[in-house]
Amino acid sequence: MSRKVTVGLLLVPGLALLVFGFLYPFITTLFAPPTIEDTSVLGRLGELVGDSFVLTVAARTIRVAVVVTVVCLVFGFPVAYLISRVPARWRGLLLAMSIFPLLLSNVVRTYSWLVILGRNGLISQALVALGLADEPVQLLYTELALVIGLAQLFMPMMIVTSYSSLSQVDFRLEEAARGLGASAGRAFRRVVLPLALPGVLVGATLVFAGSVTAFTTPMLLGGTQNRTLATLLYEYANVKLDWAAASAVALIMTVIVLVVSAVTTRLSGKAKVV
Amino acid sequence: MRRRPVLWGLAALALLFLLGPILLMVPVAFSSGDTIEFPPPGLSTRWFEQALDYQPFLDALRTSLLVAGGATLLALLIGVPATLVIQRYRFPGRKAIETLFLSPVIVPELVLGFALFQQLMVTLRITALGALLIGHTVLLLPYAVRVTGASLAMSDPALEEAARGLGAGPVRAFFRITLPVMTPGIVAASVLSLLTSFNNVPLSLLLTGPGMSTLPVEMLRYVEFSFDPVVAAVSTLLLGITVVVALVTERLVGFNKVFSQ
Repeated sequence: MSRKVTVGLLLVPGLALLVFGFLYPFITTLFAPPTIEDTSVLGRLGELVGDSFVLTVAARTIRVAVVVTVVCLVFGFPVAYLISRVPARWRGLLLAMSIFPLLLSNVVRTYSWLVILGRNGLISQALVALGLADEPVQLLYTELALVIGLAQLFMPMMIVTSYSSLSQVDFRLEEAARGLGASAGRAFRRVVLPLALPGVLVGATLVFAGSVTAFTTPMLLGGTQNRTLATLLYEYANVKLDWAAASAVALIMTVIVLVVSAVTTRLSGKAKVV
Repeated sequence: MRRRPVLWGLAALALLFLLGPILLMVPVAFSSGDTIEFPPPGLSTRWFEQALDYQPFLDALRTSLLVAGGATLLALLIGVPATLVIQRYRFPGRKAIETLFLSPVIVPELVLGFALFQQLMVTLRITALGALLIGHTVLLLPYAVRVTGASLAMSDPALEEAARGLGAGPVRAFFRITLPVMTPGIVAASVLSLLTSFNNVPLSLLLTGPGMSTLPVEMLRYVEFSFDPVVAAVSTLLLGITVVVALVTERLVGFNKVFSQ
């Protein structure tokens, strides 16, 4: 009896907070928000899904997130592999350098791209100086800017998750494969990659979900021409005050993230068996 | 050790891509020009002076510190007892409870912010500061539970049983044995929580009121209407403080141990 009471007492504050500050507002807002006019979320969702503008934004959000995930994989995974295979004194330093950006606000991390990608920015200046462009080039407020900004934001996550699963791969297995005559590439593909795959999948999911839901970067680098679901939600909630529509966009965003997480959880479960 | 020129090349590129833009902000902040540009036309500290004189930033900084400190404290006060139960007791539904405590991570922060804005601020008329504290505590709770849980999972429950067996009451056993064992986890969770809360934008974005807004949100607002280097100056100051935090963390508990989780 007293044990039950102890367990209960220790859990109650947390459960109360989660119900009051998380489950209740979250569920109410997604499914039954207080409305100014007589519109339901599902009704508004139906209208939005039929709206080609919203579909364009949703497609852009997913497209950008996929490209960002691929970019983070292509650069992040080799870096993680290198970190897991260098002597310890290099390992700590390289890992710390990769992680450090995560300690800064996304506003700080995205802000610099305004200096680099703008019409008078570094890249534009360089292109003109090299004669590759006749006049200053505006790279801001493009999808490319979104991809660059988000890739910089989420690559550390890819490196960290890949590294933590690579660091558990016994490197003697790789040596053994090499000793048995496999080329470096083959040993990597047949031995290291399958063992590291679950961690890599988790990293890819985090990057994808992060890119779909990121707000600061699309706000600063996407501008009004390249909205994503997150900036669209903000606009409905804060500018147009169409809360049913904001809830509908929130629902779309949440479903995308949950579906992708569920799929990777299954895939990475299977990958472990291989 | 074999040389790996391709890998080192890729790593150099990736690190340049990750760190280069952040470092570029420093010379931009010291610019004497009126807009953000690189290379700056000349050097001055006038944007720092302007940043430190700009009242909305100072007010927002105070709110940010209050919310980060308050939410970190609350998340630990609520999270540590829950972690203790999850790690040390066996009862039906334990797995489900653990999942529930970790679940705020999966939900998009912007969506949670919007939900709290609607239900707590508009419907229940809770103040922006109250909503910020509640929201940030929810955001930090999973970190508190996971990070302190990891340090608890590595310790041996037999230690506590021994203390109890030697006559210590449950409270004494907790303060003399369990809490010291959890201390590195609590330090790590605190650093992680303070930074996560302080840096957050999407959750704080809609939870604002008159004169009540956090620093990153205020910076974002500023960038929307002005291209002058004030925000570069604030960013440079934050960068400097973050480097100090990183060095202190390295000394206390190990930088990579804290931030690679």
